[in-house]
Parts: sequence; C-alpha cells; structure tokens
Amino acid sequence: MNDIWMNRLSEYLDGELDSTERAALDAHLATCGVCFATLGELKRVVARAQALEDSQPDKDLWPRIRARLTPEHGSAGVGGARQAATTARRRFTFSVPQLLAASVALVLMSGGAVGIAMHQQPSNTPAPAAARLHERGMVAAASWTGTTDAAIADLQATLTQNESRLDTTTVRIVRQNLAIIDRAIAEARIALQKDPGNAYLNLHLADTMRRKVELLRRVNDIAAQS
Amino acid sequence: MVATLAAAMLALASQRQTDTTFAVPAGASLSVNNFGGGITVHAWNENRVKVHGDVGRRGRVEVSLVGSTVVVKTGSREGAPSVIDLDITVPQSMGLTLGGTYADITVEGVQGPISGETVNGEINIRGGKGIITLHSIQGSVTLADASGRIEVNSVNEAIELSHVTGEIKVETTNGDVTLTGIQSSSVDAGTINGDVVYEGTVTDGGSYSFGSHNGDISVSIPERANVTITVATANGDIDASFALPMTNTAGKHRKTFKIGSGSARMELESFQGDIELRRPQEMRERIEEHKHDHDNDNDNDHDRDRDTSFSFHFDAGTWNYAARYAKAYAPKYAKAYAPRYARAYARMYARTYKQSYRSTDTTSH
Repeated sequence: MNDIWMNRLSEYLDGELDSTERAALDAHLATCGVCFATLGELKRVVARAQALEDSQPDKDLWPRIRARLTPEHGSAGVGGARQAATTARRRFTFSVPQLLAASVALVLMSGGAVGIAMHQQPSNTPAPAAARLHERGMVAAASWTGTTDAAIADLQATLTQNESRLDTTTVRIVRQNLAIIDRAIAEARIALQKDPGNAYLNLHLADTMRRKVELLRRVNDIAAQS
Repeated sequence: MVATLAAAMLALASQRQTDTTFAVPAGASLSVNNFGGGITVHAWNENRVKVHGDVGRRGRVEVSLVGSTVVVKTGSREGAPSVIDLDITVPQSMGLTLGGTYADITVEGVQGPISGETVNGEINIRGGKGIITLHSIQGSVTLADASGRIEVNSVNEAIELSHVTGEIKVETTNGDVTLTGIQSSSVDAGTINGDVVYEGTVTDGGSYSFGSHNGDISVSIPERANVTITVATANGDIDASFALPMTNTAGKHRKTFKIGSGSARMELESFQGDIELRRPQEMRERIEEHKHDHDNDNDNDHDRDRDTSFSFHFDAGTWNYAARYAKAYAPKYAKAYAPRYARAYARMYARTYKQSYRSTDTTSH
C-alpha cells in the first residue's frame, strides 16, 4: 500500500500521466504484481461502470444545464454539447480501498442486489452499501454482506410465499441449487474471515451472492407468471 | 393476412395434427409460447411461415400477427394445459422469441436473433446471429455455429457452446461449462458446481474471465497469444503444459503471468478446483477423448457404463404432478427425468467425494 505508483493507477488509466510518468509506471507494472493486479481490477470496474445503462435525466434538466454553460462551452452549440455529453468517456478516479469497494458494489449491482438493498434503506439513511464501504476503506470482514443478506432474505421470503405456484420438481431443483450456492457462500465467508482484505475472496463472495440474488429473482419472476 | 391466420387458427384447433403455411412480411419475427412439449424451428429460403402442431384431442394452437410479429400460442380447450409439439419453419433471417415451461426448444439453421427461455427443458440451437439469449432452469443448453452477442444461462445443467463467434456470457450453477471452437475477444463464463473448459481464440486486447467455485478450469492458450493471465484459487493447484513466466504474486491466492506482450487479459478463478493451462491441440484431444467417453456412457454418469446398480430418486410430488396431465405427458417426461437425475446426482456425488478426498489429503499432511 505504500507503493508510490498505486495511487497513480487511476490517472494512468484515464491517460492523464505525461509520457515520462507513463513510461515509468509501465516499467513499474512489469515488475510489481500488486499494482498490475490492481490495475486489472480497476479496468474491470471501469468497464462494468461504463456498461451500465444511462438513466434518462429529467426532461427539464437540459435548459438549466445549458443556462449554466460558459460561452465557450456554448459555442459548440446545443447539439454538439449534447453529443459531447453522451459520447464523452466516463472517467473514474479511485483510491485502492475505493476500488475494492466499488468492485464489490458493481458485482452485486449487476445482479440487482444493491438496487434492492438501497431500495430497502430507510430514507434517513444516507449511505448505501457502496458508500459505507467507501467510508470504511478496506472491506473489513466483509461487513458489506449484511445489506445483501437482507435483500436475499426478502427474496427468499417471497419465494416461500410463491413456491406453491411452482411444481414440486422445480421447487426441489431450485432448493438444491440454492443449497449449492449457500455452501459456496459459507466456504467463501470462512476463507474471508481468515483473510478479510483479500480482493479475490471479497469479489468471489460478492459474485456468489449475486448469483443467489439472480436465481431467487428469476424463480420469483417465474412463480409470478405462473 | 388476418383472414389467412384466422383460417389457420381454426384449422389448427379442429384437428389432432395439422399444418398451416402463410406468407409473412419481410423483417417479421416469430414469438412462440408453448407450456409443455417441444418447440422446433427450422429455416427455409421462403418468406413464409409453416406451423405444424401435434395438438392431441384437447390442445389448440393460436396463430396471429401482432404488428410484424407472428405470435404462436398453445393452450387447452378444457382442463389442464396440453402437451403440444410444435414444428415451425421460418425464413432464415427471422428473429425468434421462444418460451415455455415444460418445453424443449430446438432451432436449426436460423440466422437471426434468438431468445429462448424454458423452465424444465433442454435448449439446443444450431445457428443464430445477433443477440442470442438462452435460459433454462432444469435443462442443458447447447449452442453451435452462432455469432453475435451471446448470453446463455442454466441453473441445474451443463452449457455447451461450439463454433460460436462474438461476445459471450455464460453462467450456470450446477453444471459444466464447455466452450470449444470459440472466436471471441470477450468471454465471461462461470459456474458454482462444475468444470469450465475453454478452447478458442485469445485475441490481443481481449477480455476473458472463467470462474468456478467447486470445479476445475481448463483453458487453451495459443502459442502466439499475447495475454496477461491472473490466476486465483483458494484451495486448488495451478498446472500448465508449457512454461509460464510469472510476473508476480499479489497475495497468497493470486498469481499473474504474462505471455508475449500481455495485451489480452484473462482471469481464471476457482475456489476449490484446479486451474489448467494447455495448448489448443492438447485441449482438443482431451475434449475428443471426453466425448468418446460419453459415447460409451449411455447413462451419462461418466463411467463408460460400468454400473451394476443405480438408484433413482423420484418424490411423490413429481409423479402426482405428471399424472395430473395427459397420458402422453407422464411417460415422456418421466423418461426424460431419469437420465437427468442420474447425471445430476452422479456429478454431485463425484464432487462431494472429490472434496472429501481433498480435505482428507490436506489434513493427513
């Protein structure tokens, strides 16, 4: 963590280093596995974040944005600025703890778990799972799992209510597979207790929990349609 | 068109087995919903759709045109849903949306986008172009000779892709993932309880991710590949049939290797299993050998049929459910379930024993 290059990885990825720094960091990456692996994670996070769909802004938002644009920005014209806004590359700058937190959050978000979890937050609770991870820095003992556990419990309760709509074969198959996932989650948790800061174990646990969320959501959808 | 379809509907409703053929506009798509039975789709070089249905005495098939979509729905004129086998022939480039609950889905030769979703049934697709999404809960999924953006998902069975080109995302929970003859710069494949095999291109700048919790991961690396491989395993071993220049280790569970310029990125992660890196030829030979083993293994329990006895598990609910429906339903699906259960349980027990052996082996050291 004391590596001087570690905190420059985000700038490296965004192309903000000058050629000398970039060459120096390239040389460093060739010999430092930690930085190299971290850079890989960072690329993965950025790729996933870029793949997220843009939500449509309020249709009244644009006039206000346009009003706040400086003349030089405005000279590009409304159409040009819009195009620039939509095509501009998203940039993300992370510290290493933020990176790990963001990785876990994105893995879970891709399965909708974070969405569910955030939806369940009381309105006076400002910090969803990812933000709390941010505050705490490194994911200590995978404390982030609590929120996802709650989301999973809700989905399981819904399934229990609805599984009478499914035939016994499907119910048995689903239970069997949930048990397989639960066993994998338990094993990952045990490993993580011994090595809480391990990025692979954190992401593996997050990914396994995402699978459980996805399976529960899918089966609930099927039950709802039956 | 409407009159044609109405006539088709009446014809389909009044006979046990019937055919109807009608013209469709260019760019039309097909949407099929069949509760139980089979959905088989073939392609031909005509702008017409032919629907053949084995509807039985109670079944009915409705065909309609909604916008530019030909909609085929099955139902029952009385009582429980009928089991109906549909055989549909469509223009080659037609887009397909095929869905069912107890439906096996088979597509041959279509070169358009395909969406297939079933709960208890297998999906077998040859062909497809564009966005291809295939989902089954209890049933294997195979896809061959397809290209585009591919997403395949099962829960309790294996997934096999062969000679597929494009962006690939594959996931199952309790089954193997086998990808052969793949041409892609983006592959993401994972399972919880199964092995992952990849034999395909490793393109400069590409992104490849293979993961399992309980299974082994075997990947072929072409000799001239430029790839940085990050390998992570909590309890497994790493083995390569060629020299691996390790750049460094990051933590005790993760190692990084750089081959050539390291341009592509590959992540191989298995919690319990081993990770193997092989040359393509070696991998192809192993896959062929594996297929040969299966050819001699009629009950698919990976023992080349050395069984002397085997017990199957059927709960009462399964039988009761099947018995509620048509006479044709029970024998057909009971027959289908037996080998599936045998396969699933054999695989599960094999893994359990493998894990027990591993833990015994670890503690004895």
